[in-house]
Amino acid sequence: MSGYSQSEPLARTAREEANIRTAVTSASQSHRLPGDGMIDRRSPLRFSFDGKAMTGFAGDTLASALVANGVKLVARSFKYHRPRGIVTAGSEEPSALVEMRTGARREPNTRATTQELYDGLIANSQNRWPSLRHDLMSINQLFAPIFVAGFYYKTFMWPAKFWESIYEPMIRRAAGLGKSAELPDPDHYDKAWAHCDVLVVGGGPAGLSAALAAGRAGSRVILVEEDTLLGGRLLGDGGEIDGMDAREWLRSTTRELVSLPNVRIMTRTALFGVYDGGTYAALERVSDNVAMPDRHQVRQRLWRIVARRSVVTAGAIERPIVFPGNDRPGVMMASAVRTYVNRFAALPGKRVALFTNNDDGWRTAEIIQRAGAHIVAVIDPRREVPAQHRRLVDTYDLRVLAGVVSDVKGGVDGVRSIVVTNDRNGQTQRVETDCLAVSGGWNPNVGLSCFHRGKPIWREDIAAFVPGGAPKGMATAGAANGELSLGACLRDGHSAGAKAAAECGAAGKPGEASKADEEGYGIAPLWHVKGKGKAFVDFQHDVTASDVTLAQREGFESVEHLKRYTTLGMATDQGKTSNINGLAIMAEATGRTIPETGTTIYRPPYAPVAIGAIAGHHRDENFHAWRLTPSHHWAAKQGAVFVDTGLWKRAQWYPLAGEKDWLESVSREVLAVRNGVGFCDVSTLGKVDVRGADAGVFLDRVYINAFSSLAVGKARYGLMLREDGIVYDDGTTSRLAEDHYFLTTTTAKAGLVMQHLEFCRQVLFPDLDVQLTSATDQWAQFSIAGPNARKLLQDLVDPSEDLTNEGFPFMGAREVKLRGGVIARLFRISFSGEMAFEISVPARYGAAMAENLMIAGKPYGVTPYGTEALGVMRIEKGHVAGPELNGTTTADDLGLGKMMSKKKDFIGRVMAGREALIAPNRQVVVGVKPTDKARRLRSGAHVVPKGETPGPKTDQGYVTSVCFSPVLDQWIGLGLVERGRERIGEIVRIHDPLRSEDYEAEICSPVFYDPEGVRQRG
Amino acid sequence: MRIACPFCGERENGEFTYLGDASPKRPNFAVDGGESPERVEDAFHDYVYLRDNLAGVMREYWYHGGGCRSWLVAERNTVTHEFVSVTAAPGAGAALAARAGE
Amino acid sequence: MADFSWNTQSALEKALVPGRHGVAGTQAGVTLEEVRDISLVQVMARRGRAAETAKAAKKLFGIEPPRAPGAAVARNATLIWSGPDQFIVFSARQADGQFAKVSKAFAGIASLSDQSDGRCLIRIGGPRARQALAKFCSLDLDDKAFPLGAAATTSIDHTAMNIWREADGTDGHAVFNMLVFTSFADSLWHMILDSSLEYGVQASSAHAA
Repeated sequence: MSGYSQSEPLARTAREEANIRTAVTSASQSHRLPGDGMIDRRSPLRFSFDGKAMTGFAGDTLASALVANGVKLVARSFKYHRPRGIVTAGSEEPSALVEMRTGARREPNTRATTQELYDGLIANSQNRWPSLRHDLMSINQLFAPIFVAGFYYKTFMWPAKFWESIYEPMIRRAAGLGKSAELPDPDHYDKAWAHCDVLVVGGGPAGLSAALAAGRAGSRVILVEEDTLLGGRLLGDGGEIDGMDAREWLRSTTRELVSLPNVRIMTRTALFGVYDGGTYAALERVSDNVAMPDRHQVRQRLWRIVARRSVVTAGAIERPIVFPGNDRPGVMMASAVRTYVNRFAALPGKRVALFTNNDDGWRTAEIIQRAGAHIVAVIDPRREVPAQHRRLVDTYDLRVLAGVVSDVKGGVDGVRSIVVTNDRNGQTQRVETDCLAVSGGWNPNVGLSCFHRGKPIWREDIAAFVPGGAPKGMATAGAANGELSLGACLRDGHSAGAKAAAECGAAGKPGEASKADEEGYGIAPLWHVKGKGKAFVDFQHDVTASDVTLAQREGFESVEHLKRYTTLGMATDQGKTSNINGLAIMAEATGRTIPETGTTIYRPPYAPVAIGAIAGHHRDENFHAWRLTPSHHWAAKQGAVFVDTGLWKRAQWYPLAGEKDWLESVSREVLAVRNGVGFCDVSTLGKVDVRGADAGVFLDRVYINAFSSLAVGKARYGLMLREDGIVYDDGTTSRLAEDHYFLTTTTAKAGLVMQHLEFCRQVLFPDLDVQLTSATDQWAQFSIAGPNARKLLQDLVDPSEDLTNEGFPFMGAREVKLRGGVIARLFRISFSGEMAFEISVPARYGAAMAENLMIAGKPYGVTPYGTEALGVMRIEKGHVAGPELNGTTTADDLGLGKMMSKKKDFIGRVMAGREALIAPNRQVVVGVKPTDKARRLRSGAHVVPKGETPGPKTDQGYVTSVCFSPVLDQWIGLGLVERGRERIGEIVRIHDPLRSEDYEAEICSPVFYDPEGVRQRG
Repeated sequence: MRIACPFCGERENGEFTYLGDASPKRPNFAVDGGESPERVEDAFHDYVYLRDNLAGVMREYWYHGGGCRSWLVAERNTVTHEFVSVTAAPGAGAALAARAGE
Repeated sequence: MADFSWNTQSALEKALVPGRHGVAGTQAGVTLEEVRDISLVQVMARRGRAAETAKAAKKLFGIEPPRAPGAAVARNATLIWSGPDQFIVFSARQADGQFAKVSKAFAGIASLSDQSDGRCLIRIGGPRARQALAKFCSLDLDDKAFPLGAAATTSIDHTAMNIWREADGTDGHAVFNMLVFTSFADSLWHMILDSSLEYGVQASSAHAA
């Protein structure tokens, strides 16, 4: 096991590609029939499977091409590494999983039955070592007893620490499916919306009839079909409709559908989910049929389809019979055999045995005989040949054996013979064959109709579940509805389509339903042939009949328990061919009926969906949308380093040549502001125009402090609480007119505050006349800070503007005219602690404003600064921000308790007064500075009393924000510390277990810089 | 899920934000209006924290923030996700409304 | 004293590269055009003043603003429904005073907000515009569901958008006007362009007329 490895993908690719180049034409196709089927013989395609070059034709799937090439062994099974072949011809395939493509496009667990062949296709078998034929891992079969149901739980229980280090890697190596690519997916995916009146799911005879009826009536119709071609079972079974050959009918029906402008046909599109309110999800395989998507084209597209009505005509899935050796390559569903012959002109076997318990399975006999191969025996546990097939027996002199198949003999290359047991007298006989076609009956595809917890209904006459409790607006028709004859499918589909259209108000005529024979469908249920040897229920997860009965003996009788204990139905095929057999065997073991036993809950997705398709466009740089500030491109030109702040990209700092690290740049920016002047784009702050006669009263209710008393032309800092008394957001709000306030929020909460304000306006206080508009994007806003800020601005504004302390005092707010005529809004507010202004101009002038600030500030050494310097200055000044407004702090915790008005009701007022929120031992904002000035302070470090052992009982808070203060020449921080304001000057222990640091610090005032506020008042 | 905004029509649920139970009404009180502080606090406690968790039709606040920015009151069946009705909040648009809850 | 020039910059300064993109061919499937120099005034009726607001609009523009989602085209402006009792006045930017002029007409009965720089107008047209739109817009934009004069407020890429139809293009195909937030414009342009590449794109910018 330890020698397990795979050869390098690149080396393998080169070899395989060489093989493909030298491939001969159709010489390899030993099992190709002369007929055309639906393949295009003028388009031969080369492909390789496990390094062997082969050919096929356009229209082939990988599976049909392998059948045509006589390949039976295509996979090794999940647990036991048993040889496996192709079982079906559709998306329900449980066994023929291959690894497609190579390198970054390598994709495991691809169903060979749905993979379209293309020139140059490279596929490999998986879960085998060293090769598919000689898989040493098949030794697992000898250890089968430990792989029985629940083996994870029984074998690997303890010691627990062995799980990650020993058990899991061992199991992963021994058991498993394919290996995914380890490189980023080079392909693109997208998602799209589609809308219609009637969504038809499945393009078989019922679906075509439904689409036609609804389309003719005038409804907007979308028909989705997972296959590349419309037709469903018609492609494999043929037949006669309206007196013409089924293919001719298919051609004319398709023509009519295409001619209707209100009908949209989407092939290669699998519906996989049904959601509330008529929303459906489907996956379109846009480019899986080519080696590589075209440039500008996606690989897959995820569709969200909104439909008023849907008609699910998803057909039925033929179910296997569980008997010993039923997983041997060459054992194939009877309908799949017909499909390979009729649709793909490929012959799964030359001497075919047929094992069926129902009339439909018999159809395979005729098709095999007509194809020039032989039916060596028809095994039917029923005693009588169905009336409709008696002529067939006579014509071909068929050997009919009453009984069951009780064993399958053969090698890795598949079936060589079968053992037939007469279940009455126990006599056995051996029949030589190279392909065993099996039909256990048909299971209507009830999955989609049950995604909303609908419970399927058991129908005794067809021994199958049919839909029950389909979601509102959904109808089921055709085989999906339990109608198993062609005539009934056409009729049922037409009537469902016509009804859906009428319900959507379509007034046109749906026309007549097409007609075909309604042949009978007799079945004698047969689930399990008991005998020696493994009889598989779930081929993909290697769950056997004895696993099911073992689960029953151990008390896991509920189907949901059975599923989880044995993993039945939990593989990538979600048990499409196995679930019903599993529960039938459980029913038998418990003596209950099948409906009493019930089904497991059906959940989307119906078919596997690549994560890439779900992500769509949203990956890498497009993971989410981004927002740019008005001066973004200007800042980029200055060499700014950007940081993601929510969706915004903000200039973090502006490095200069020769600076060795971010700290050097940031400290320079801080000192430039403190000693001269700097500016920073603060357009990311949320901005809201609050207008209306009651705007002031409204703000009184949402802020803890008063705003109706604010004079026009003034700004005020405001704090909002949540209704539970905890601080929500803060910002400066200015009164620009009697009935107009300009409110700002933090960058992070802008959207949420807008939503909150609208809630207050529309729900809580609808009596107030107030209107809100987001103005965040309208304005380019810059902070201009530093002792020279006024000088700089004075040069920028029109000479008529008075910016002196008298003409424009601290906390002033008004419009100003700039040189050149632009009108700006100017606010004298400071976050940095310096004399500072914020100036707003319409966003289109943002870049020009940055340029002009550089020009106007040149004499004063103006320096653009980023968010880091902004942060340093706010910490030096003791201003709280996100780390302190953390959803647990009160106004008083932040040192802003005095702002709370006692004269008015406001959001959060009452609850803020609760005992715990005003307790004296709360953690409040203080300053923290290490006693060792050279020590770097780290945020997140815990505060513990000096001399105490750190722990939950002694923990008194933590450091919230830190920075290196170039002014104080040391690391400083803000913290939330228990009774902090009473402890100014106390030395505490700073404990940082994450970084293994422990040091002492002094509790101090949070205002490190200019505590009297002299500088900002200028 | 699709939600029929009374102003915009039926839209996908990604345009909406869910807030929760629309039944609790914010207590209305006058500062220093003579009410006992305990009673006011009790009323706010119930308003902020007490919620029924219904299996069935529930009145809920939804915000059409990805559309017309109206707050909506929806009656929704929490078992089937079916919307019984969707109406505008009393103060949506320029509607003249009595104070909510009265 | 230094001279200050006040050059304007579009939010699509970098994102919009005029010319052909994506699949080459004779005809571009999608045309993308940024319309620059626009004027947008958000008008929201004050409490109980919806009727007066409509009347004032009629007086100023000659037409009533849409009462339900829609876009009404007046001689010099388009009135686009943007929510209950509110609409956006869209027009070409003229010299100063536009906002002030509209403000005066609605004084005391509606609250106005200048959004001329808050939004970016992108027009998408061409024979494959609807297919491209389907990748990022969840609305049903079929001609019957969204005819000429239709408008909606919706979201693309989780971001608010006003979309409306005025006149069809000279090629006979529907043209969809999309107003998106300025700060998102760069990101959304890339997303819209990516969605359109498989159809071939002709990108350009124009001045509002």
